[in-house]
Amino acid sequence: MNTEIAEKIKNMLVENLRIPADELEYTSELFGDDIGLDSIDSIEIIAGIDNLFGVQMTGAARENFQTIETLTKYVEDHMGE
Amino acid sequence: MSNMSDRRIVVTGLGLICALGDGTDKCWSAASNGITGIREVQSVSTEGCYANKGAEVAESSEQLSSEDYDRSSLLCIKAAGEALADAGYTVTADNSNRIGVIVGNCVGGAASIDKYYTDEFKTGSAKPSDILRMPAAAIANNVAKHFGLNGATANIVNACAAGTMSLSYAADLIRAGKADAFVAGGSDSFSSLAFAGFHALHALAADACSPFNHSNGITLGEGAGILIVESYEHAKARGAKIYCEILGSGVSSDAHHITAPRPDGQGQMSAIRRAVKTSGLEFTDIDYINAHGTGTAKNDEAEFLSLHTLFDENKHLSVSSTKSMTGHCLGAAGSIEAVLTVKSVCEDVVPPTIGYSDEDLAVLKEKAGEIDFVPNTKRKKPVNYAVSNSFAFGGNNASIVFAKKPHEIPDNTNSEKLYITGIGEVVGNTEEEGKGIRASITSDDYKEHGIKMAFYRKLDRFSQIQLISGMRALADGKITIDESNENDIGIVVGTSDGPMTEIVGFQKAVVEGGTANGSAFSFPNTVYNAAGGYFSIFAGIKGYNVTVANSVQAGLQSICYAADVLHNGSENIMVASGTDENTDVDAELYGKLGLLAETKPYSLEKPGFVLGEGSVSLIVEKASSAEKRGAEKYAEVAGCAMTHHAVEFGTVSGSEDALAKAIESACADAGISVSDIDAVSGFANGHKTIDELELSTYKKVFGRDIPVFAVRETIGEARAAAGTEQAAYAAKLLAGKLGSTAKAYIGGKAADVDVSGYKYVLAAAWGAGGSYSAVVLKKA
Repeated sequence: MNTEIAEKIKNMLVENLRIPADELEYTSELFGDDIGLDSIDSIEIIAGIDNLFGVQMTGAARENFQTIETLTKYVEDHMGE
Repeated sequence: MSNMSDRRIVVTGLGLICALGDGTDKCWSAASNGITGIREVQSVSTEGCYANKGAEVAESSEQLSSEDYDRSSLLCIKAAGEALADAGYTVTADNSNRIGVIVGNCVGGAASIDKYYTDEFKTGSAKPSDILRMPAAAIANNVAKHFGLNGATANIVNACAAGTMSLSYAADLIRAGKADAFVAGGSDSFSSLAFAGFHALHALAADACSPFNHSNGITLGEGAGILIVESYEHAKARGAKIYCEILGSGVSSDAHHITAPRPDGQGQMSAIRRAVKTSGLEFTDIDYINAHGTGTAKNDEAEFLSLHTLFDENKHLSVSSTKSMTGHCLGAAGSIEAVLTVKSVCEDVVPPTIGYSDEDLAVLKEKAGEIDFVPNTKRKKPVNYAVSNSFAFGGNNASIVFAKKPHEIPDNTNSEKLYITGIGEVVGNTEEEGKGIRASITSDDYKEHGIKMAFYRKLDRFSQIQLISGMRALADGKITIDESNENDIGIVVGTSDGPMTEIVGFQKAVVEGGTANGSAFSFPNTVYNAAGGYFSIFAGIKGYNVTVANSVQAGLQSICYAADVLHNGSENIMVASGTDENTDVDAELYGKLGLLAETKPYSLEKPGFVLGEGSVSLIVEKASSAEKRGAEKYAEVAGCAMTHHAVEFGTVSGSEDALAKAIESACADAGISVSDIDAVSGFANGHKTIDELELSTYKKVFGRDIPVFAVRETIGEARAAAGTEQAAYAAKLLAGKLGSTAKAYIGGKAADVDVSGYKYVLAAAWGAGGSYSAVVLKKA
């Protein structure tokens, strides 16, 4: 996993979605009970990923949004497309 | 008990401006003939956006008025002028304090917020005078000032339900004898804030909205609708023409989600049920419903379900969404639709929902069942009873009933004693130079009330402090909410400035990055009622839920409002809160107005105060409810009063008589004389003008140097929070929780006073523009 990308995504989630940094691991389930993201947050993630990396996630499958790790992989796979 | 004509409320004047035209007749003619006001947006850049439709008023702000007010105020003044003229209402020195202004609003002075931060971004400087045009609190005040109306004022800021809730509140206050008439309704201007916000949420329709049809999003509109709501006796005495009756109304809370309605429609149905029941009607009596009908899938599905569930026995019901022509005018929506509904009742014509193709009509037939959705063309039919629905962000629902003829309505009012049975405080304790006093909230505070990170991370500062103070008050009052009481508990949040930090943050991103750069995460928190919404969701409170923005005094006004709701018979318990935040954004704005200074109450040296923040919530409860559950009583809320003497927003000079009147009226409401008051929990904040006004008015009213407590000495000018704290302090003092002596100011000089024998303490509060409230607290 590209930790530089992962760290940028983490910072974006902390900044834009007010998730406390110390409760957010790369493998935390973003849409699970603990962090509890919802559909509005996913819109914000899509906008954030687009801003940071120019990668479009509109319409991307749900599993790509599960953790910072899966988001990072999606960005790695689609950067520069 | 009262006779029927005592409780009759009538509509005697109409005023309307929206994309359909300037004036009620023009708008009604367009709406009833299915002519749309939806066009391409002109006033907001839609570059990079997937939608570009809107329903804007043709007139520029300069064309509306030469007054230097925000567009929301100008639209409201325009409609109010038409309505007052239509009603033939002559305002005189003798009757001006019996007619007030209650207006609904969602985005406040959003056009001015946009302008201020655009100026700052582009030129590096912005006009401080634009800051006074930002808060929603200015709107009712500006209308009152323009027309010289000195009755109680309120801005109801419950987003898309605000326009209907303001009418409901106006009718309730008149029935309670608090006024003869109100200029009531709502107003909102088109704004980049709302457009960017709904765009970010993907809630805008790409083309014109299509309610109860394609349901693929809303189209935003702007405008103002004003009704002169008047007691029948007063209207009759002055020989006024009467359009129709206002019967009952209902306000409820979903306690579900901050933006989405409950899919099961339970909250909507609760409001409609309350409205029909308090009108003394059956569901089968209703001829027409002007639906909320926004055109989003979530709203339309829930509303279809609500209507079918409640009205399927009704074989003559027509339903339409006039938003298909006016667009969604947010805080003005309910009032614009109320004007159109009144016209429908008077003309026996139901305006259509437009936009159906032949194919759409076939689909509608399946979904509509026996309900007539009036597609494309108006329906001529008798309209004796009509309902208007409004549902909002925060899960707030409101419904109101208009009738062609008088109808006996059940009298649910009571004159029970009311008690404060719980107190929850979040107030500042850390002072930073130049930034004022701030409160601290840690994750432990959330844990204490079982609030998980997944919930609290959504909240902005304003919502955070409201949630914690509300939960602390419920815990202090030993109230647990379950199915047995969830519908009998309500919320009133009073605020001066609302969630200004979130609004400014959102607006700056839009100014700097364009309309397509709005944050979906932040937008739901930019509405003033989000804090009350989150509180209701977490606590599970499903009764009345209102947020009132009325400058500093709104915190104390929330207690007056709560008392009115309780005496009106709607609820058993109300949580009355005052909430205002102090962040770098608030400190900067107050600083630019030149209002920050290192002063102390009664220092009488210079203008300015130390800014504070906080949220203070009080449980106000009916005696029967408190006794039934053996609640501990801090104090009795023995009397309340709200007054106004219209002066320019941002000033107070010249309005002193309204403070005197608030004190005298609150004492009269408590059945006591002003000489019975032992002490005042006052509003001195260190600003020379405010403190002098307070001292001189008390001297005049009480005829002596009465002891005054100054809560702002420790918490700063926490605005609405300080207003509620004044009452909390008095209640604790009367309950003996603060010992037998307390620090007071007598004639502006500090002194320790013996409080052990106190029976009555009065709390009084001021608001910019001449709004005042007063509450008499009695030893329980």
